[in-house]
Amino acid sequence: MKLDRRTFIKGAGAGTATCALATLPGSLAAFGDSKLQGSAESVASICEMCSTRCPISARVVNGKNVSILGNKKAEDFGGAVCARGGAGHSQLYDKQRIVKPLKRVGERGEGNWQEIEWDEAYALIAQNLNKIKAEHGAESIAFSSKSGSLSGHLFHLAKSFGSPNTFTHASTCPGAYVVAAKAMFGGKLKRDISHSKYIINFGHNLYEGINMAETRGMMDAQMEKGAKLVVFEPRFSIVADKADEWYAIKPGTDTAVALAICHVLIEDDLYDKAFVAQYVSGFDEFAKEVKAYTPEWAESISDVPAEDIRRITHEYAAAAPHAMVDFGHRSTFTTEEFEMRRALYAANVLIGNIERKGGLYFGKKAASYNKFAGETVAPTLAKPGVDGMPKIDAKRIDMVDEQYAMMWSSGGIYQTILDATLEAVPYQLRAWVMSRTNPMQTMTDRARIVKTLQKLDFVVACDIYISESAAYADIFLPESTYLERDEEIADLSTKNPAYYVRQRVVETIGDTKPSWLIWKELATKLGQGQFFPWENMETLQLFQVQRDFDLLSKIKQDGYVSYGKPLLLRERGMVRDFVNTYPNAKAVDEDGTYASQLSFKTPTGKIELSSAKVEKMAPGRGVIRYREVTMKKADELFFIQGKVAVHTNAGTQNVPMLANLMSDNAVWIHPITADLLKISNGDKIKIYNDTGSEEGHALVTPGIRPDTVFAYMGCGSKNKELARATGKGVHCGNLLPHVTSPVTGMNLHTTGVKIAKI
Amino acid sequence: MTKRYVLVHDENKCIGCQACNVACRSENNVPESVTRIQVRIEGPYGNFPHLHFKYNRVSCEQCENAPCVKVCPTGAAYVNDDGIVSINEKKCVGCLYCVAACPYKVRFINPETRVPDKCDFCKETRLARGEEPACVTVCPTQALVFGDANDMSSEVRKVLDTKPHYQQKVNLGTEPRVYRIPSRKGGIKA
Repeated sequence: MKLDRRTFIKGAGAGTATCALATLPGSLAAFGDSKLQGSAESVASICEMCSTRCPISARVVNGKNVSILGNKKAEDFGGAVCARGGAGHSQLYDKQRIVKPLKRVGERGEGNWQEIEWDEAYALIAQNLNKIKAEHGAESIAFSSKSGSLSGHLFHLAKSFGSPNTFTHASTCPGAYVVAAKAMFGGKLKRDISHSKYIINFGHNLYEGINMAETRGMMDAQMEKGAKLVVFEPRFSIVADKADEWYAIKPGTDTAVALAICHVLIEDDLYDKAFVAQYVSGFDEFAKEVKAYTPEWAESISDVPAEDIRRITHEYAAAAPHAMVDFGHRSTFTTEEFEMRRALYAANVLIGNIERKGGLYFGKKAASYNKFAGETVAPTLAKPGVDGMPKIDAKRIDMVDEQYAMMWSSGGIYQTILDATLEAVPYQLRAWVMSRTNPMQTMTDRARIVKTLQKLDFVVACDIYISESAAYADIFLPESTYLERDEEIADLSTKNPAYYVRQRVVETIGDTKPSWLIWKELATKLGQGQFFPWENMETLQLFQVQRDFDLLSKIKQDGYVSYGKPLLLRERGMVRDFVNTYPNAKAVDEDGTYASQLSFKTPTGKIELSSAKVEKMAPGRGVIRYREVTMKKADELFFIQGKVAVHTNAGTQNVPMLANLMSDNAVWIHPITADLLKISNGDKIKIYNDTGSEEGHALVTPGIRPDTVFAYMGCGSKNKELARATGKGVHCGNLLPHVTSPVTGMNLHTTGVKIAKI
Repeated sequence: MTKRYVLVHDENKCIGCQACNVACRSENNVPESVTRIQVRIEGPYGNFPHLHFKYNRVSCEQCENAPCVKVCPTGAAYVNDDGIVSINEKKCVGCLYCVAACPYKVRFINPETRVPDKCDFCKETRLARGEEPACVTVCPTQALVFGDANDMSSEVRKVLDTKPHYQQKVNLGTEPRVYRIPSRKGGIKA
């Protein structure tokens, strides 16, 4: 569609809120109104308003709205959906959404765009990428995507093109607990929160960072089953409010309290000796190290009273093994992130809650579940392989230090894109292809990201909106939203195998494409088409189910299919049920469990409380140890961020319905601190440090430590294309310095700030 | 009256996530500038560190003795057989008496229809299809229980019979049909 005067007027008339941006080329406003075409019957699909990806059920209502509810078939999710999930249609037909490929005209980041056709977009990208590849090698181009459903398609393109430099958002969000679990257990663990009787939580705010199954599970455990919840967090969050006990722990000192818990478990002889003897390696070194970490020592560091740490640990041990220390998702950040996550896991290992109800467990996917059952209870999915993929000789840009080895395959160290571009370390990056990722908000040191994006020869962004990061692209590729896409079948196994699938609910609006198709078509233009042999998503789905049409139709019909009975290897009742159900099931141990089958993919085959492998990767870190960290200058306040239930990190601030619920982030300041700074509630303030300066307003509240300030992340965007989010509130990334945590490669999100009334 | 539809809001389970607010908007086409239901997270109350929030559901209370119905000059505002305070758009003359009379401040003029609007338990949409109200269906933590309080076997009856609860502004004699289970941490601020 051409943007002539008539379509402009049509777009401008579509709603008052869109007037300011009706001239933005490629927007849905410029494209004009159209009736929604889609299924009036409920279609089972998967949400994408955050990373949890809850099963949903959606239908088009009267051609003008989409009703989105949870999929009742997924019991753990209870047919529920959060505010973000329920607002999916608001993103779908937002007038500011981009529905036509765009080419930058003018300076990068200036905000001048021109609509182009897909063919031209592909041709421009292919021409630039192939030129850079010819002159500097394919490895000089970085590819990054938010991890999840379609990231694999972009990374497949990167590999076929010849670049090893693929990155997810891991190092800006969930990487630490993944790497720590890999080091200790050889793989990821899950939480059986709903059966837990005692939950110790270090700010994993499940009541605002909603993960539907876990959030429901925790509320169920608390309110229906009488579980006790203890929360350590500097801010009075919703999870702190719902806790039985809340301690306003000093930011960055979680490790001290976690290690003190381990100290009490060992010194007061509360730990599970049989479990440790059978499954744990390196216990003695660990016990020797934690001897010094008394609750009194922890109190002096964290402000959590020693007697409470001691009492809580005894209560926790009394509830063992149906108790857990939640290993969190993205709580207080320090450079000692690796030690913190390992200390949290250690407190679980010591009470032997692995593969027990209310504790931690490994996901039971079809292959392993079937082996236990001795029959095919759940079908396994096939993965398509492609012959002749080029071998890549170049090393990843983050492969400069062996200590990060576990992160290389777990998403990579995202922020090294900046180092490689600005400092040519270990070599010069020339281009960046990004898909549904917004580092300008989620990474630290915003100014440095701007510099990086301005220095690169070529930048491509694929997204729904011109995000803050996409604003610096040369070519913008408009992606179809999840409500317009079909995708591969995904695994959602927990204690038993389960699958679900994303299906389109409405016909594509405007001239957008699903990103799997975008990368396939681009690959063809790049001359790599042979590596994308699948015709469409149906071909891939059929390949996955090995042409079992009945299976595919069942998964599509129900949207979520689970198989067998929940199984935890060390839970006698569950193993008994399992064996009674499957006559050919593996023989049980003498104690009636599968305890002897529990194994760990670590060098010793055991849980490594202390690890020779880690010691070799990162000398001095084999044993979990407390190290003092400096998070701020003496005259600064701690600055921490967190999640709110109505937004997803940096992705939903421009969605009309959600922007209407919250468009701004006030800075939480304790009344005593506010008084000293002569700041009243609602005052305009400046928040600043050596990294940057932001303007916002104050929320004076007792719900924060006096030495700490807090803001919900994701606000204060600075590009005019995100009209509802820009200039509203504080941009956290503009205040956070660029620091990387050892071993985990995490991009740190705690620092010091000063505040002044404007 | 054969049915007596009531709603129970458990403030212990409510996390103020606004899923109900969004679901209600979608289901009932509520314009952005107005709201049929929201949960206000009020506070924190108390002294650091002994704090608590209050999760205040703000929506039509479905009064048995509804002031909005009493003041309506045309009978546009009425109580249906099932106890749901309802609006007959055809009879409304837009006098705004009902908006002024509501002691809970939950009636508003819909900017698109120009008729008073408020929560009706999704009577025309979901209830008519035999489904629960949108807010009840989507609530992530199952903080809402809806049903016919005259049905002795209903869950809502069971909850009202077994759990302590309160209603807002009972001193006005409006007899609201929205019941609240107070947070065990906070006091009642009715």
